Amino acid sequence: MKHEEVRTLLGEWVDGELGAAEAAAVSAHAASCADCGADAARLRRLGAVLFRAAAPADPRATEAFVARVMGRVEADAVSPWERFAGRWLAPGFALALAGLVAAVWLPSADRFDLPLDAQLVADGRGALPSYEGVFEVAP
Amino acid sequence: MGEPRDEDLARRAAGGDDAAFAELVRRHAPRVRALCEATLGGPAEADDAAQETFLKAHRSLGRFDGRSAFATWLHRIAVNHCLDVLRAASRRRSESLDALLEADGAALGLALSEESPAKALEARDTAERLLARLNPEQRLALTLRETEGLSYEEIADAMSCSLDSVKARLRRARAELLEAARHFSDVRDV
Repeated sequence: MKHEEVRTLLGEWVDGELGAAEAAAVSAHAASCADCGADAARLRRLGAVLFRAAAPADPRATEAFVARVMGRVEADAVSPWERFAGRWLAPGFALALAGLVAAVWLPSADRFDLPLDAQLVADGRGALPSYEGVFEVAP
Repeated sequence: MGEPRDEDLARRAAGGDDAAFAELVRRHAPRVRALCEATLGGPAEADDAAQETFLKAHRSLGRFDGRSAFATWLHRIAVNHCLDVLRAASRRRSESLDALLEADGAALGLALSEESPAKALEARDTAERLLARLNPEQRLALTLRETEGLSYEEIADAMSCSLDSVKARLRRARAELLEAARHFSDVRDV
């Protein structure tokens, strides 16, 4: 195996992720190549140098953590009433509102589908050009 | 009767049993916190990230189907959350911080040489600056390998990526760190 090829496989070799044949080839090269041998040694130390070992779990710290999480879970939770309201009341309210809007808007909207004079006739206000009473102003 | 299995607790928690969820948090908090601390550095960030992980898990309990172990499912949520935090930090990081301090590279070079025992760098900031040079995916893969000892296949599963991606991420992360150590050690030796 060539030097450059071995260099790309050093990490996998150190991690024990190579198959037997490749591992043997890398091992043989690293034993005779000072650069690859030194890099393999550095790779083995890298984790210990960059990462501190995790401290053993302290049961009191864990309990305090559990309490913090559960406090947030409680604050985050949707109550059964809110769930009911969100699922049934809100759509019901929206439906009722839509019905109300339709009841108020649609009869007058229908009129706009007719020619203007026909609308006035329908309103009982006579044909064009009399616009009297179309725009009523409250006294 | 033995202790209830995680998966049974998860089912109860999904049905609104908060005590069951608290027990899951109690069981898994040490590993989740350790992962968050190793990945994100500071204990305060790690605590926040671990809390967020459990909150996300709680909100998603309805989607836990029990096909994988609860621990695996939770670990994947933690890994994804850490990756999100690293990506956000990487976007915020100013260009000036990209320049590796010479002292950091030299400290790493010395720590990796066989002149000293293999122990963690004294200054946590040094390790943090060195790791912050890696892209988030590389850093997370390296953390999972070095702190949890996961196999490449397990890392691929946790990060939802291919085995080749894991190999490439680890190779690049290590090459970058060794290069920094070598470069600054060479500078120091001149």
